[in-house]
Amino acid sequence: MNERKDNVTEDDALVAKAKGLFDESVQRLDAATLSRLNRGRQMALDQAGGHRVGIRWTQWVPATGVAAATVFAVVLWTGNRPIDDLTPPAQATDFEIILEGDDFEMLENLEFYSWIELDEDTKSHVG
Amino acid sequence: MNALAASFAVSCIRGHDSGVSTLQLDEELNRFFADVERRALRIAEIAVRNREDALDLVQEAMIKLARKYASKSSEEWPPLFYRILQNGVRDHHRRQAVRNRVMVWFGKSDDDGVDPIAAAPDPAGRSPDQELETGEAMRKLEEAVAALPNRQREAFMMRTFEGLDVRDTATAMGVTEGSVKTHYSRAVHALREALGEHWQ
Repeated sequence: MNERKDNVTEDDALVAKAKGLFDESVQRLDAATLSRLNRGRQMALDQAGGHRVGIRWTQWVPATGVAAATVFAVVLWTGNRPIDDLTPPAQATDFEIILEGDDFEMLENLEFYSWIELDEDTKSHVG
Repeated sequence: MNALAASFAVSCIRGHDSGVSTLQLDEELNRFFADVERRALRIAEIAVRNREDALDLVQEAMIKLARKYASKSSEEWPPLFYRILQNGVRDHHRRQAVRNRVMVWFGKSDDDGVDPIAAAPDPAGRSPDQELETGEAMRKLEEAVAALPNRQREAFMMRTFEGLDVRDTATAMGVTEGSVKTHYSRAVHALREALGEHWQ
């Protein structure tokens, strides 16, 4: 019981000393800091006044800029999209063609196919 | 014609009343900010350990209160103001943590060269003479309070330094009154442990 009472007294003493030191440090704030606080306060009061008057036209300038940039970004984004979800983009189609095995086979026998083509041309001229 | 004149007179009086009440509100806000700003600055400074950042946070809190909550009754301003300020402090800590992570990622750890904390000027911007005046006791207290967990620090500073009651502290912290009592009690206990008997 006594121990608890002692703790409470010690707590009170700590809090009182902390409060005293804090108040002292508040009183010792330098003139430059107080001036900055005063400027901040005046700015806040100006904003409160401006807010009550309503939105000034100058506040529309950045808002309009943001809106225009958003519209531009949406147009660019939708412009690059495929026509519908079922149509793959052109790059993907090209990529698939390149990877198809048949084409590699055709490339290996290119000389043979060229000879057949030449042969058929010759026959058609003769015929 | 008489009715029109009477209507004009009433509208003039109304407009005049509104002007007066706006002026009164501005004066009341000015008085509130002037009363609270110094303590708020020191509270923010102890929390973020930097006077410039603390000045910015206090100014932002004043602007937000003036713009959004000036129409509330003046009794509600202290807890609202401190709630805005504490949110600013928390946001500052979050951004600081991210910045520190990025610095570590780029290999700029504390082990590289000079210790920035040791090399930094005194956060309160005091000259050596003033620092001597402030004394070791205040510096130890600031360090101990800054080292407390966020909630305990908030509860201790708002109750002890600002003198808010439990209810207003709860509103400012966005927690229950019971939670404020717990955080405050733990904070006092932790400070007693950290500062030791000789400090008191």
